[in-house]
Amino acid sequence: MKIILILLIFGTYVFSSKLPDNCMLCHKNTTPMDRYHPYSRFGCASCHGGDKYATTMDRAHQGMVLNPSRLGNAKIFCGKCHKNIIKRVNSSIMNNMHGIFDVLRYQFLQTKTIRHTKGIFFVKNIPTSKQTLAESHFSKMCAACHINQNEKIFTTNRKRGGGCVDCHRISGAKEIKVLNNKLTLIHPKLSTKIPSKNCLKCHNRSNRIGLSYFGKFESEGYGTPYHNGKLTHREGRDRFYYNLPADIHHKIGGLDCIDCHTQTGVMGDGKYHNHMEGAEDISCKDCHSPKFESSSKSYLTDMLITLNHNMPYPKEVAVTSKKGTPIYNLQKNGKTITFYRKRDGKAFKMPLLNNAPYHTEAIHKKLACSACHSSWIPSCYGCHEVYFKDAKQYDWIKHKMTKGNWMELRSYLRYESPTLAVGYNKKIMPAAPGCQVITTIYGKTKYGKTTVKHAFHSFAYAAWDPHTTQLKSRTCIDCHFNPRTLGLGAGILNLKNDKITFTPFYKSKKNGLPISYPIDALISKNGKQYQTFSRKYARGFNKKEVYKIIEAYKCIICHNSWNDKIYKNFKKSKKLFYSGKTVCYKEIFGNKK
Amino acid sequence: MIKKLMILSILMLHVVYANNCLKCHQNKMWQLKHSLHYTLKDAINITRDTWGVKESNVTLQTLPEPKAVVTKPADLVDDFLRRKCLRCHLQSRQINKTGNICLACHNRHFNRYDAKKAIAPMSKCLKCHNNEYIGTNYLGLFPHDYDQSYRSPIMKNGDYPNTKYGIDQHHLISDIHHKKGLTCIDCHNKNHVKPGQGWDGVLSCTSCHKHLSKKYHKSYHKNISCSACHSSWSGDSYELNVLRDDTANYKQWSRLTMQEDPYLQKFLQKALKENPPPRPMMPDYIDNKLKPGIWYSGWLFRRWENFYLINSDNGKVMIARPMYQYKISYKNKNGKMVLNNVSKLNNGTPIQVFLPYTPHTITKQAKSCEMCHDNPLLQINARKNVILSNVLIPKRIVGGYFLTNKQIQQLHSKKYKLIRAKMLFLNKIQSN
Repeated sequence: MKIILILLIFGTYVFSSKLPDNCMLCHKNTTPMDRYHPYSRFGCASCHGGDKYATTMDRAHQGMVLNPSRLGNAKIFCGKCHKNIIKRVNSSIMNNMHGIFDVLRYQFLQTKTIRHTKGIFFVKNIPTSKQTLAESHFSKMCAACHINQNEKIFTTNRKRGGGCVDCHRISGAKEIKVLNNKLTLIHPKLSTKIPSKNCLKCHNRSNRIGLSYFGKFESEGYGTPYHNGKLTHREGRDRFYYNLPADIHHKIGGLDCIDCHTQTGVMGDGKYHNHMEGAEDISCKDCHSPKFESSSKSYLTDMLITLNHNMPYPKEVAVTSKKGTPIYNLQKNGKTITFYRKRDGKAFKMPLLNNAPYHTEAIHKKLACSACHSSWIPSCYGCHEVYFKDAKQYDWIKHKMTKGNWMELRSYLRYESPTLAVGYNKKIMPAAPGCQVITTIYGKTKYGKTTVKHAFHSFAYAAWDPHTTQLKSRTCIDCHFNPRTLGLGAGILNLKNDKITFTPFYKSKKNGLPISYPIDALISKNGKQYQTFSRKYARGFNKKEVYKIIEAYKCIICHNSWNDKIYKNFKKSKKLFYSGKTVCYKEIFGNKK
Repeated sequence: MIKKLMILSILMLHVVYANNCLKCHQNKMWQLKHSLHYTLKDAINITRDTWGVKESNVTLQTLPEPKAVVTKPADLVDDFLRRKCLRCHLQSRQINKTGNICLACHNRHFNRYDAKKAIAPMSKCLKCHNNEYIGTNYLGLFPHDYDQSYRSPIMKNGDYPNTKYGIDQHHLISDIHHKKGLTCIDCHNKNHVKPGQGWDGVLSCTSCHKHLSKKYHKSYHKNISCSACHSSWSGDSYELNVLRDDTANYKQWSRLTMQEDPYLQKFLQKALKENPPPRPMMPDYIDNKLKPGIWYSGWLFRRWENFYLINSDNGKVMIARPMYQYKISYKNKNGKMVLNNVSKLNNGTPIQVFLPYTPHTITKQAKSCEMCHDNPLLQINARKNVILSNVLIPKRIVGGYFLTNKQIQQLHSKKYKLIRAKMLFLNKIQSN
């Protein structure tokens, strides 16, 4: 198979003396495209359309498209070769954006549970005057980031959209340029080695994974420290960051997003998934405790390795446990397992999950890897949505100014001690506010005064892997006796007469918030759930769990290492302790019993 | 017009009565003039020392004129003090428009029978003692971040919320003494506020709370200050970046006009609209003259959860906080960076200072043992893993010294572990 592919690509150079269409007669100064789409083989018209035999410009350009990779065009042009992928992308969550929109409707109290829609295609057909608040918010705030967005509407450098090129373009991002009036065109180059900066065009807001992975925490906007009298650490126009520990995969390996995220996970598997986590393919275990398959089985592995150029052909490659996609850069030859960085083929020895008690122990079986190994999580408390009915704002779907203006304010930010909660997969994982919506809708009175027309609030948390993985995990006490981690929020936690006491610091009522609990409290000390989750199984800890976690702390005071023998069978150890026979019992209480 | 007349007449009254205070209270003047409120010796000398000035014992009254030629932070500190910190002093027009020094703290009274009127109300104290300074924290107030997106929640008329003491504030748990209705002067009476010298050792919790109940108050915790355990939160602001900019460069501050200085806030809001932009001018709050250049400031971040323990010079273990960790920049009117993000003196001393203090956020329920004993910032091994520990842990302390190795070991001593385990297990053991 690979021989055919190589022949196909390199063979094209041999027969390049004859051009496949007439376009190059005028556009002879066009810079070459990437190695996979040589003009000599494809010409121009097979991708851009038009009349390739014409001899006048008008005739030649009839029916031509500038960007064949906008998804509408891609079906016709890119789809000639990549039909299967175009289909998958069309139904993927990055194209439909229903993940964002459905949760937004739920958060804006429009639906009581998550109800599934066609996302952006659902909103598209609704005229501004008939839009609900969620639809309006989506059009004005969220829809800017869409893989099929029209790139031309962006005035800054961070252009999004354009279809396939949104991710796959690696150079010539500033569109096709005409230099010196000589029809010298700089043609974009496409690649499967997608640089992370392409992903970051969009994945930098909301849970901010794209920033966190690189060790950037969106700051409170101070732009400090100053350099040459200017604000520094700018991220976009009005946003700033400061540096926190980056994800170990970035710090040690310099890995890009695509090194873990497979094409099935990113471009979709052709099925409809309600949320991102359904579409997601990769998991930590897929690499750190991998399953291998013979590489000769899969045509896809062959093709991907050929396209990548940087890594050898292996005997076996790893496959994802969820969808069986080959992780072609994790290879096994004999006994050696090697991971190759896709960007340049740099080889790494894969550190495998060890069998130490902290990984195998039954008590911690419910934990996701990220629960212990994530060192921080961007937590943005209070999402004050302000809507002015009579003002105007740019609509990212209709591409014009329409009525209604949204503004977002906050209460405060934190990154410390990620809160833990039960996530969408019933595993315990880090969680943070997502989102704590306090919406106020302003209109005008008869006399032209601004006044509140309507207000509502809906406080939710969300659990996700923050992509701030560190080798060293959090300490025992950081989870077992830390009110922030438990979900109680910042305050004084104590255990008196075996009853949990908690004094929270934040006073929501006095801060003018419409809630009776502290803004950073996911649960009460009795495990009462204050804030909701948009996912079915996600929740904060319940009363029993909170007590259990804190109860374990009693032993952790002295036995603060996993090597300690009491954890070999914790239940038995506790029983032994309460029967008064252990050494530590005698040390604590004397020999009275 | 009527409003203006009324204000004018009130001001006139103030002027008339200004000198009259001394007719009866002549003897108080000596006391006042030797008080920290009048000389502001502490604040001035600690800041000057931090910025690398050798001479000490300078007061508000003897503060030198700013240096004309600036080459190092020490040359700039007097200008910084005059135009930033010393916005608050007894005769500053920012806080006391009357010009009568007494009225900075006291209300007016007319004869000996209405003397009670003159008692200093809390609002007068809080005009200065707000923000990072002890005062507003007693009410549970913690300043918002500067950026305009933190001006929440928005009000019913669509405006940003009203500021309190010139600052947008978070409301956190307040001091128990405040909840019970006590004001500043219930503890800090005249002898403490206007003492002859400093005020260390004049006032303590134990002057009122004489009978401490529990055993550990008197045994192993006897060298711990009350506030170390009984304060709830501690407001810490990390890395104060200051920039004096003598050029008219306002655009980058468009979202950061809330600089906790009402003059600067107004000036920036105006300057951002005007074309051509106005010259950068800011008042010297001692001689009340507008002088060229503007002092901008910004933090790395602010937190209410963290605290750090040190040995205070008074022999007690106290909470310490950054006051401040400076990063100094100066751009002169030609656009040349004279100082560019300087955080160390020439001899390598960091331009920062942590001071011991008493958070006025007292709760009856003390902190849990773990908040100190397992405070990762205090553990030599654990602090390596604390994110940004280089910022959170002091490099220089004034008024105290770091916990000794022995003290740090004691935090995790076997004795502590056994006692703590006993506290937590006892109930269950007994009920078994």
